[in-house]
Amino acid sequence: MGVILERLPGAVKGVPGAGVVLTTADVFIDWSRKYSLWPVTFGLACCAIEMMAAYASRFDFDRMGVMPRPSPRQADVMIIAGTVVKKMAEPIIRIYHQMPEPRFVISMGSCANCGGPYYDSYSVVKGVDRIIPVDVYVAGCPPRPEALFYAVLKLQEKVQKMRISKGAGATPQAEKGPRNVAA
Amino acid sequence: MNIESLVADLAAKVPGVVLAADPSYVKSYPTMRLSSAAYLLPAASFLKERGFDYLEIITAVDWLGPVSPEGYTRGGRNPHPFSAPEAPALVAVKNPAAAYKPAFDMLWCLANIPARARLLLRLEIPREDPAVPSLTGLFKAADWQEREVFDLLGVRFEGHPNLKKILTPDFLQGHPLRKDYVHVKDRYDE
Ligand code: SF4
Repeated sequence: MGVILERLPGAVKGVPGAGVVLTTADVFIDWSRKYSLWPVTFGLACCAIEMMAAYASRFDFDRMGVMPRPSPRQADVMIIAGTVVKKMAEPIIRIYHQMPEPRFVISMGSCANCGGPYYDSYSVVKGVDRIIPVDVYVAGCPPRPEALFYAVLKLQEKVQKMRISKGAGATPQAEKGPRNVAA
Repeated sequence: MNIESLVADLAAKVPGVVLAADPSYVKSYPTMRLSSAAYLLPAASFLKERGFDYLEIITAVDWLGPVSPEGYTRGGRNPHPFSAPEAPALVAVKNPAAAYKPAFDMLWCLANIPARARLLLRLEIPREDPAVPSLTGLFKAADWQEREVFDLLGVRFEGHPNLKKILTPDFLQGHPLRKDYVHVKDRYDE
């Protein structure tokens, strides 16, 4: 699938009616991506408890295709659920770079947004967006699972707008275009 | 087991250990005060022989009291983004009732689980170049706890096999739980 996505825009470039092909492909690709936003299993502090509650049967994120994956290599979304301490910053960056593109980040809770209650602390990174790009911010301390649900819906809206002719990625790097267009 | 007789035995065996005065009790556990760091190892090994073989806590209190708002982003230097303009700046105010002094109050908590007893040892050491003997020879559990106290308060544990930072990242300078800690901006503070 990845190879097709990378090569398709290059392959149909210049062919009459290619736009129709790409637009039709977009509909299906975005539709399948939107309902399989797999987050990497990753919690940092008290917000992670709400995130776990969101995955569990009462809120049941599985019905939106949000299924936690044990490895960043199988994941599309990283939910930063909790306080990002300076010591954890480096592992977060590493996990982020291990996720395949397109990758998304949801910053959950005041701590991940801006440092929250620990704004004055010597050990907390004042916002995860200082170290990795964030797609959706969720306010709250902690946000309720419904709020996280809303963030997932917002992320789905964002995914819906992705176009493979523009690289179909959410990250600036991917927006520049597919890497291998020569084929 | 009779805790009163144990306390009396300990005081008789190790002369520098006395039952502390009431205010330095932790909850209602019997608290012994050591008059010098040299009595720590004899007292701890005596207690270990008598069944207090579980080292629960090693910690320390910095009694320097409030020093200055340095290290906080709130206050004059670096106004807090959300504080109202008329909000008073953070100032270091000492509580007149508290007995501040330039000292660390060390605390060891030993437990005898079958007897459901707990006994605390306290020792006051000066703040300049603080050092106490390590209990790693007696209790394996002392290893990480002593590293934590070293990391956060800068108390040296003599005889510790591997005394280095355990909690704070390598680039953090100083000992954050000291009252006079001043935060040095690092790469995540911009
Ligand atoms: S935002 Fe609140 S609930 Fe979430 S990690 Fe921070 S302190 Fe905990």
